[in-house]
Amino acid sequence: MTEERGAIIRLEGLHKWFGRLHVLKGIDLAVAEREVVCVVGPSGSGKSTLLRCINLLEEPTSGTVWFEDRDITHVHADLNEVRTHIGIVFQQFNLFPHKTALQNVTIALEKVLRMPKDRAREIAQRELAHVGLAEKASSYPGQLSGGQQQRVAIARALAMSPRVVLFDEVTSALDPELVQEVLDVMKRLALEGMTMLVVTHEMGFAREVGDRMVFMDDGVIVEQGPPSQLLSDPTHPRTRAFMSKVL
Amino acid sequence: MAVTQAVLPSRRTRWRAESTTASVTLAALGAGGLLLVAIAVLVLPAVRGATPVASLVRTLRSGTMSGVLVAGVAVGAIAGIAGWIGAGRMPTKLAREQAIAGAVLGLQAVIFGSILLRFVHGDVSKFATNFLDFHAMGAHLGDFANGAKNTLFLALGGEGIGIVLGMTLAVFASSRRVVVRAPARAYVNFFRATPLIWQLSFIYFGLSIGFGVNLSAYVTAIATFGLNTGAYAAEIFRAGIQSIERGQLEAARGLGMSYLQALRYAVIPQAVRRVIPPLMNEFVILIKDTSLVIILGLTFKQYELFTAGRSLFSITFNPSYFVATAIGYLVVTLPLIRLVTAVEHRLRSGLVGVVGRVDVMGER
Repeated sequence: MTEERGAIIRLEGLHKWFGRLHVLKGIDLAVAEREVVCVVGPSGSGKSTLLRCINLLEEPTSGTVWFEDRDITHVHADLNEVRTHIGIVFQQFNLFPHKTALQNVTIALEKVLRMPKDRAREIAQRELAHVGLAEKASSYPGQLSGGQQQRVAIARALAMSPRVVLFDEVTSALDPELVQEVLDVMKRLALEGMTMLVVTHEMGFAREVGDRMVFMDDGVIVEQGPPSQLLSDPTHPRTRAFMSKVL
Repeated sequence: MAVTQAVLPSRRTRWRAESTTASVTLAALGAGGLLLVAIAVLVLPAVRGATPVASLVRTLRSGTMSGVLVAGVAVGAIAGIAGWIGAGRMPTKLAREQAIAGAVLGLQAVIFGSILLRFVHGDVSKFATNFLDFHAMGAHLGDFANGAKNTLFLALGGEGIGIVLGMTLAVFASSRRVVVRAPARAYVNFFRATPLIWQLSFIYFGLSIGFGVNLSAYVTAIATFGLNTGAYAAEIFRAGIQSIERGQLEAARGLGMSYLQALRYAVIPQAVRRVIPPLMNEFVILIKDTSLVIILGLTFKQYELFTAGRSLFSITFNPSYFVATAIGYLVVTLPLIRLVTAVEHRLRSGLVGVVGRVDVMGER
């Protein structure tokens, strides 16, 4: 298990109800600095909800989310400020279609971090180059392929210099031939030491890049450990059943 | 072995290959019939003088007029019947379309021609004096131009206020807090559920009597049109805002934007583009509703199209001015309606580069 000290994100007894539906049933999880944690599990197991509870796009019904040493579920927490430190990339990209790739990246730098225009532009150019899309800066999302759009979305998140980035099934909406270019970008990020929490179905990526794998089922964390162990020698029967289906 | 050339045949080539003498003749007959009717009603009066009324009446009653109309009806009838029979026997689809076009045009010639024939044999003199006194209309052209100017000014002023108010109300109405939402809903429902003419008079007289606020009729009118349009624009904007995918708001919030920032930079710019056509439609409706200012006292220079026509009628008892009023509204609104269509077309073809997907793909 990860040592508590140095944890960037720590979840304590997290519960989430949607009406009468109990989606998260007491989640405890810590993500250490520079750690890459992959969350896997069957659909409907609460993986995405868990991720969205971390930056409070969904409000947990009970439990605490710690970001560094701050309780961000507290009523006085400045969520807008906290979210600038927690990047998120979505399954459906969610780029702003009326803005160019460059503007998608600069908008939050200018309007949230109040950066001067030229400085924001400089950072955005750098981040677009980082994901291999320097020459697409002036393209609109509708003119880009799915893989390119998702890479712009990653650049948009990275430009804010977040302490941690959340990836919510970012390759699930992509055509098969476009998955790899996005995974490559994520792999490079991990190697550069970015702290990442990745909800994914890409077992190969989890094995290769993940420091730790978390298996969720029915709103609880069933088992966690090194990816290689969970993939090849899971201890819990539910993990075993799931792995035998996806591998 | 013969390989079929994969070349799109030009329209002209196809036309030559697929039309037949019979089908072209049918189409020409139908068009000719309608043309004769049009010549009778438009060209003859223009050539022989549409003013004064006596000259117009003479033309309408002349044998030439009746003759051209009868010819138009006859040609149209032939095209209609022949096209009806012939359409099913044409050898190609294009030829069949031509025969059908001839039959339909011919039918239109018969209908309009007959109505006009009946009309020129009625009490033309009385009708023309009352409704077609172009001389009188022309004499007051300046009044109608001024009226059109005022109509547009009232409508633009009201629309301007309405758009600002509507956007504010729409943001309130999309709030997740019921205490913010409810007043906006109440406002919108009130202004949509009461007649504009009641709002005009109540605000004009009510403000004056109840609050001692004496606004001029013109200012009251613009304000009321703004308040009323605001309610309708609010509904349009709210629908637009709610039509934007939830992920857009989430992406913006995920970057640290406040709710209002997310609306302003991510959601509203997209929503506005989507609702331009219904907004323009609202504007066209407002242009015509400005005629309700007639219930307030306007000065002569403030007369809009309807008030201008109505006041000229009450002085002269010549209803021709109402016809001039209608022409005035057509002149103002038809170009706007065309503009609406053009904007809609542009938005749908994605040329603005923003609505959903852009169809024109850049190089990968």
